Amino acid sequence: MDRLLSFAFQLSLFLILAFIALPILVVLAASVSPTTTITFNPSEWTFQWFTALTASRWLDPFLLSIKLAAIVTALSGLLGFLAAYAVAYQKCPGHETIMAFLVSPLAVPQIVKGVAIVLFLSSSGFYSLLGTPGLVMAHIILTLPFVLRMIAGAMYNFDKRLDQAGRILGATAAQRIRFILLPIIKPGLFSGMTFAFILSFNNIPLSVFLVRPGETTLPITVINHMEYSLDPVLAAVNVASLAFILTAILVFEKIGGFSTQIHGGSK
Amino acid sequence: MTSTDTLSITPQPTRLPIRFGQFLPLAPPSIMLIFIFAIPMGMMIALSFRGADGALLTLDNYQRFFSDDLMLAGLWRTALMSGLVAICVTVMAYPVAYYLARSTSRWRTVVFALAIAPELAGVVLRTYGWLVILEDHGAINSILIWSGMISEPLPLSKNLLGVVIGLTHVVLPFGILSLLTSIQGIDPNLERAAQILGASRLSIIRRIILPLSVPGIVSSLLIAFTMSASAYATPALLGGAGFKVLATMVYEQVLFYIDWPLAAVMAVLLLILMLTMTLAGTRAEARLQRKLHV
Amino acid sequence: MSSNDIEMISVTKAYGSHRAVNEVNLAIPAGEFVSILGPSGCGKTTTLNMIAGFAHPSSGDIRIRGKSQNGVPPEKRGIGMVFQNYALFPHMTVEENVAFGLKMKKRPIGEIRDAVKHALRRVHLDGYGERYPKELSGGQQQRAALARAIAPEPSLLLLDEPLSNLDLKLREAMRVELKDIQEQLAMTFVYVTHDQDEAMAMSDRIVVMQNGVVAQCGRPADIYDHPRSSFVADFIGKSNLLPIQEVQRSGKDWVVSVATGLSLRAKTPDDTLADPPQYCCIRPEAVRLTMVESDASTSANRLAGTLTRMVNLGAYFDCFVTLQDGTVLKSLVRSTRLPGLTSNQTVFLSIEREAVQLLPR
Repeated sequence: MDRLLSFAFQLSLFLILAFIALPILVVLAASVSPTTTITFNPSEWTFQWFTALTASRWLDPFLLSIKLAAIVTALSGLLGFLAAYAVAYQKCPGHETIMAFLVSPLAVPQIVKGVAIVLFLSSSGFYSLLGTPGLVMAHIILTLPFVLRMIAGAMYNFDKRLDQAGRILGATAAQRIRFILLPIIKPGLFSGMTFAFILSFNNIPLSVFLVRPGETTLPITVINHMEYSLDPVLAAVNVASLAFILTAILVFEKIGGFSTQIHGGSK
Repeated sequence: MTSTDTLSITPQPTRLPIRFGQFLPLAPPSIMLIFIFAIPMGMMIALSFRGADGALLTLDNYQRFFSDDLMLAGLWRTALMSGLVAICVTVMAYPVAYYLARSTSRWRTVVFALAIAPELAGVVLRTYGWLVILEDHGAINSILIWSGMISEPLPLSKNLLGVVIGLTHVVLPFGILSLLTSIQGIDPNLERAAQILGASRLSIIRRIILPLSVPGIVSSLLIAFTMSASAYATPALLGGAGFKVLATMVYEQVLFYIDWPLAAVMAVLLLILMLTMTLAGTRAEARLQRKLHV
Repeated sequence: MSSNDIEMISVTKAYGSHRAVNEVNLAIPAGEFVSILGPSGCGKTTTLNMIAGFAHPSSGDIRIRGKSQNGVPPEKRGIGMVFQNYALFPHMTVEENVAFGLKMKKRPIGEIRDAVKHALRRVHLDGYGERYPKELSGGQQQRAALARAIAPEPSLLLLDEPLSNLDLKLREAMRVELKDIQEQLAMTFVYVTHDQDEAMAMSDRIVVMQNGVVAQCGRPADIYDHPRSSFVADFIGKSNLLPIQEVQRSGKDWVVSVATGLSLRAKTPDDTLADPPQYCCIRPEAVRLTMVESDASTSANRLAGTLTRMVNLGAYFDCFVTLQDGTVLKSLVRSTRLPGLTSNQTVFLSIEREAVQLLPR
């Protein structure tokens, strides 16, 4: 009886993991298959679809998405640090309420935030902000709460005696931030920024309202195309953007060293 | 014992003056949030109550929504779709989360990576993958037709089934994570205690693990429901043109019909749906947590 | 018919190349209170888990009531266990917790009700049956866990540091109660702990473990009086441990030279030494401290030194005496015995020859 149960458990585990892996494997295979028929035979694989990526129809949205994600990451890192410094580090009066306000966008679904922002910009005469500036602002509203939470988490854990030690050794407020606080919260800062990068780069529900012809992000370009055909070029585009994200994570990890934090290491 | 008096000096409460410099770093993020989030949200809610005649407070737009069968069907479809996904996700996430919470084998890391990493791939890639697998000329139908089991392609995509499959895939990692947290909180010694008192594997699951992980089950259902209800891309792509849910309907109202008050109504309804579910869910979860944990 | 409840026959548990338990042989007689004592990481918990069936020996055999337990799952071993954190089911009342084992064995409802009542009365928790575990104090949770373990009346109860989460007063009271319950029920108790006082207070027999092997096994008094290694001497009670440089025979005595130049006379029950001794051990209470030089006619070791430090333990003083050669010896002195004793005065020590124990390692 117990053996049967254990077998059923392992079988279900295997099937669920197969379900998770299946579509991703299919896209990987489709991106290198010579025809629209997917092949898992490596000898037939080709990289012909990837050459299409150099066409401006794919390259422009790709570059826009990268630019957007980079700006959003930098700005939400900066804003998140400022807010966390006041709320979690200085514990300014009313910090709990302020924190609740700053993370409140999390309670609102992205699609609702998107509608609100596009209606606001269109009906208040800021129509010209649609496109890249609107995208940047909307994405920051999405990413800021996450970044803030991660930095604040790192700052709540920060041992205040380190700051006192720096002070007694003669460090000014700016020096203490630069040489004591920042290095210690760096893993939290960078994991938050990595998260912001991924969220922005892959975003659909906000971007879909704010893109303009000629200023379209990669995911929106892909879904617009997908409604008409399942062109293998799309598989290549998807694989390329996944590869880009993985590279970006590695780079962030290299600079920020947050995996020690995630794995509970002491740093 | 007069000597202790010198040691125990009562600290005088010192009232720090509120320094406005403390609030200075809050200015940029707060201004950003007020202008790009708080004001737009307020305007959108106000817009949903604005009459075509310029009246500031009327339920006309809501009445338009609730008297339209197609829109009501969309609301109902949103709830049905989200409910189905919530159940599928929770059922599928449970074994994975249990394995991750209890296993000490070296495969654990592999399973964890496999379960969570697809989240990096984004919704578009995964939806594309499912379309390639499920569509009429897709992998499954091709294999079934080739093997002679069917002659006409099965309707696997461009319907509710396709959307539920796609959304389940998107939301599953979140379900796994919330169940994992809950199951990890159950002391493994409870299972050992039950075992040494003579309980079989099945009765340990039924009497110990399931009842104690109810908070995790609730939070998994909740996160799956709310994520599905507000998902846009998956229903739009895997559901086909006729598959309308609140999220896709909102988009159409804004960009095709340019009926902004109606779009605002839909967005508000979606928000209400989410907030009531979240509130009810977190309440239930908190109550269960309080009851269960020492 | 074996009178041993548990027999472990050259049991080894290896995790990779690390041997958590190494070739352990152990026989636990029925009806005894046996403590497995050792510092953390010594293999005591692994040993307990193997007896319970939560871990499986890499080699060797474990027999319970004469039957090999190889391949027998915990739920079929018919033993009880009390966990360190109690592991009470938080979603069940105390009564439901205590009834759980009997319910799993599908006993009739009336019988279960009686057994639960009986078990709760035995641990003085009558009237608490309707409560949930979180509504009990730490001590009450401990009792509830005990009631749950004894309700199905196993002949063998395993206890994994059950008192370590209680405060000192409660812990001392529970020691007496546990011993009472064990005697009344005539159960075999296997009690894992790192607290030597606890083990000394309750056990019929103590198994001292170190690095996965049994360092010594015996009655508490035997272990205290005749430790077989410096580890046991150091772990159980307090001791003066001095590394030995040389041993010589002198009549019926041994003359022991310690590295610092000090030499002591020792008398052992057996005339021969199996291994050359590495350490000598003197219990602090065997070091008699006086303010005047004692009678030269005794055969005891007589030493003089300076009292460098006194630590007040209430009823006793821990006295640290530095001898001429630099060796520091601890002596336990009853507070009332030597009024006027102060630091930095010259004191005299006498140690009976029998109190100087020679240890092989």
